Amino acid sequence: MKVLVADDSGVMRKIIIRALNACGVTDIVEAGDGAEAIAKFGETSVDLVMTDWNMPNKTGLDVVKEIRATGSTVPIFMITTEAEMSRVKEAIAAGVNDYLAKPFENDLLRQKIDKFVCV
Amino acid sequence: MKAEYINPFVSAAIDVFSTMLQCELTRGKLTIGNGAQPTMDISGVIGLSGRATGTVVLSLDRAVALSATEILLSQKCDSIDGDVIDAVGELTNMVAGRAKAGLEHLAMSLALPTVITGKNHVISFGSATQTLAIPFTCEWGGAVLEVGLVESPEVAAESMLAGAGATA
Repeated sequence: MKVLVADDSGVMRKIIIRALNACGVTDIVEAGDGAEAIAKFGETSVDLVMTDWNMPNKTGLDVVKEIRATGSTVPIFMITTEAEMSRVKEAIAAGVNDYLAKPFENDLLRQKIDKFVCV
Repeated sequence: MKAEYINPFVSAAIDVFSTMLQCELTRGKLTIGNGAQPTMDISGVIGLSGRATGTVVLSLDRAVALSATEILLSQKCDSIDGDVIDAVGELTNMVAGRAKAGLEHLAMSLALPTVITGKNHVISFGSATQTLAIPFTCEWGGAVLEVGLVESPEVAAESMLAGAGATA
């Protein structure tokens, strides 16, 4: 399984990658902003996209919309500080499959990753 | 700035430190801020805009910043490097994000965080913004959360009308 992890925080990418590793996922592509995420999505086939919302160059919501505009049904898991219900609904409407608000318990992150890994 | 607006930020800071760092923050006395954090080593700064605009600053002692980064990355940190700067920015982002969810009626958006380092650095909010500051202590040292928020004229008018209604 290959996973695209997009977050402008290198620390947050490391936290997410550590959780992915704990779930047995080691084939990971990193992106530090929204534009890089879209570029990397176009370059390689991935089985899961994990993206932040607030990023430079394109937002995570832009990433979701652009991926869905290609017709892709790849699962998208958004991990973000945007915790308002209106934002969650906006993300779901754009095509997000799961959503986790920061701050989060590491166990919850792993449980949610497992849901995609074990499909 | 309304005193009630500081509460979601205080709760958010305590929640972020507890959840992400397994660290208990103890809050001190609320003060009217002066836009300066002269005893801190590193500050995360993030702007908010929407039906209120303003700035959130999370300032940390060096020891707090290093220990927080160590917990987040599960690796030793001896100096304020790129990882520490990134971690402080992300913690500030989480505090602001969690707090604005508690102020949903203000419909605010987050800017990207900026991090300032250096002993005795000072952050100015501008003369038009009154800020409120809360000091915290934890097992690693001290922190200060300073928030300056200005309601849009529409929100201010709604608040005034609601207040007038309540007393009529």
